[in-house]
Amino acid sequence: MARDIYEPSEIPSAPDGGPADIAIGDLEGFTGKGRTLRADAFRRLRKNKLAVAGLIWIIIVVLIAITADLWAPYWLGDPVEIDTTQVAEQSLQPPSLDHPFGTDKLGRDIASRVVYGARVSLMVGVLAVAIMVAIGLITGAIAAYYGGIWDGLIMRTADVFFAFPYILFAVTLIAVLGKGFQNVFIAIGVLGWPSIARVFRSSILGIKKNEYVDAARAMGASTYRILSRHIMPNSIAPIIVYATMTVGGAILGEAALSFLGMGVQPPDPSWGLMLSDARAYMFTAPWLMIYPGLAILTTVLAFVLLGDGLRDALDVKLKE
Amino acid sequence: MPPVLEVDDLHMHFFTRDGVVKAVDGVTFTLQAGETLGVVGESGSGKSVTALSIMRLVPEPPGKVVSGDIRFKGQSILAMEEKEQRALRGNRIAMIFQDPMTSLNPVYRIGKQIAEPLRVHKDMSKADAWAAAVKLLDQVGIPQAEERARHYPHEFSGGMRQRAMIAMALACGPDILIADEPTTALDVTIQAQILELMVEIQKNTDSAIIMITHDLGVVADMADHILVMYGGKPVEYGRADEVFYGPLHPYTWGLLESLPRHDVDDKGALCPIKGQPPSLITLPSGCAFHPRCAYAQSTCKSKVPPLVEIADGHLSSCHFAGDPQFVAQFTDGACYVGEDAPGGRS
Repeated sequence: MARDIYEPSEIPSAPDGGPADIAIGDLEGFTGKGRTLRADAFRRLRKNKLAVAGLIWIIIVVLIAITADLWAPYWLGDPVEIDTTQVAEQSLQPPSLDHPFGTDKLGRDIASRVVYGARVSLMVGVLAVAIMVAIGLITGAIAAYYGGIWDGLIMRTADVFFAFPYILFAVTLIAVLGKGFQNVFIAIGVLGWPSIARVFRSSILGIKKNEYVDAARAMGASTYRILSRHIMPNSIAPIIVYATMTVGGAILGEAALSFLGMGVQPPDPSWGLMLSDARAYMFTAPWLMIYPGLAILTTVLAFVLLGDGLRDALDVKLKE
Repeated sequence: MPPVLEVDDLHMHFFTRDGVVKAVDGVTFTLQAGETLGVVGESGSGKSVTALSIMRLVPEPPGKVVSGDIRFKGQSILAMEEKEQRALRGNRIAMIFQDPMTSLNPVYRIGKQIAEPLRVHKDMSKADAWAAAVKLLDQVGIPQAEERARHYPHEFSGGMRQRAMIAMALACGPDILIADEPTTALDVTIQAQILELMVEIQKNTDSAIIMITHDLGVVADMADHILVMYGGKPVEYGRADEVFYGPLHPYTWGLLESLPRHDVDDKGALCPIKGQPPSLITLPSGCAFHPRCAYAQSTCKSKVPPLVEIADGHLSSCHFAGDPQFVAQFTDGACYVGEDAPGGRS
């Protein structure tokens, strides 16, 4: 078996504190360390600089979003409080020390709104993907494992979802459910499951053919056990990759829906909503558009890069 | 006490779009505790499907048991509920697969996989099952079992993986161990070790073994009985020494002749059986072996030969197996497709 050689100092210990570092002597011509697959994957991920950059940026955005209440209102100003003075001297100020990203026409600090917008974006991204994955995994697993009529029914339903233009479908759904933050992620999640189901289905179909699935059945494992213990862990890698990238997609979806006025409602801050508000001032006050736009760009890109890195890191075939 | 396993005129057919595949067509045998049965045949002779039928692992549909019965200690497996069957699988009847490289789950430590049948069937705690797994690994000859149990399958060599598979199959102390070509994917030196291990295990545990192979050499030393299959049908069944030293079917003889041997001062080339195994959808008329048989007569083309007892406990499905003169040709040392044989050299 081909193995790459590395210094012992490079070996990450097992995340579970397990026996990753037990040195084994030469047994049947084999020398190596008992490492976990997760440790292996993490080691490969660390080699991918772009993926690491993406991961770091995501961590930064998450930290900013979580800690926003502790500093943003005091340093930058309240994200929703409007300058109601007659002169409105806070309105449309260019970036300065007081307002690093400038202010919008209602005198609200753009930086503060971008920081709070991160909360909305991340929440929508994660919750929408959670919904997609939950529906997609169950339907995909049923389609692949039971096949036949279930496969046909689920996959044709997925095709119906694919047949409609995404944004149009989302707008229609929100029109039915009602506007607002909660319905945005529900709509994005409900519309996104067919992709996950497809990816998971094809992944399971590949794994199902493996002899260890037969071996598990021969061992007397129940269908549930085979699915959850033997098929799931082996077919989940593409889902992790796809879900990571889709978080970026969901953030973009929220921005688009908010831009169209179907998502987060004013005065709550959302990157898409800020872009929508900035349209009128594109040339007179470009900072209104640049900063939320950059926030969307970098965050979505970070998730895509991380997903890309994960794809390489989780691909066992590359290792062999 | 009833025999540990009885297979009674089993017909397992596959109903495919192209037609009915009679993968197993009338297989009968009994297996006593502690006994070894060698099931021998070429690819597509139905030997693996026979094994999978016993495990109830043939996907249905397209597979279907058309007739016949499989009894475990006198109890029909076919009549059991899925849950009862599951309680047998891996517990009372265990199976070792052909390719150890793919039959272990890559995401779990070896020890955990060996412990799994114990967790499923014996309701053991995690710690107990793990300890048992380490002991099993040690029993199948893995050095430093305690550390090795914590390794992943990709860190094991092929031979070690097959040992781990055997340990997994043995975990619950099964009454029957079905080994489907357990050595085919291994080096010759490792093959011998694995076979030795299985013989030793049998001595210690008194499990019955069904050894499926296309290599008569593999079962030569191990088997008490041999079942030779061709085109889904049993063509010869008997005690191992009888089958080896007095084959009653031209196919068995052809298999024996195509084995490389060190003990005979050979004239040179091996004598392979000409032609290919038949398609199970369109089996030749009459005796399925007749197109490849050097001794085929016109009856062989028209009449399906029944499996009949020629000598005590020695069955053959050749029309002429009852003719001592005919059978004598098999053992006179002539090459199966020798110049004197009616088939002639092609």
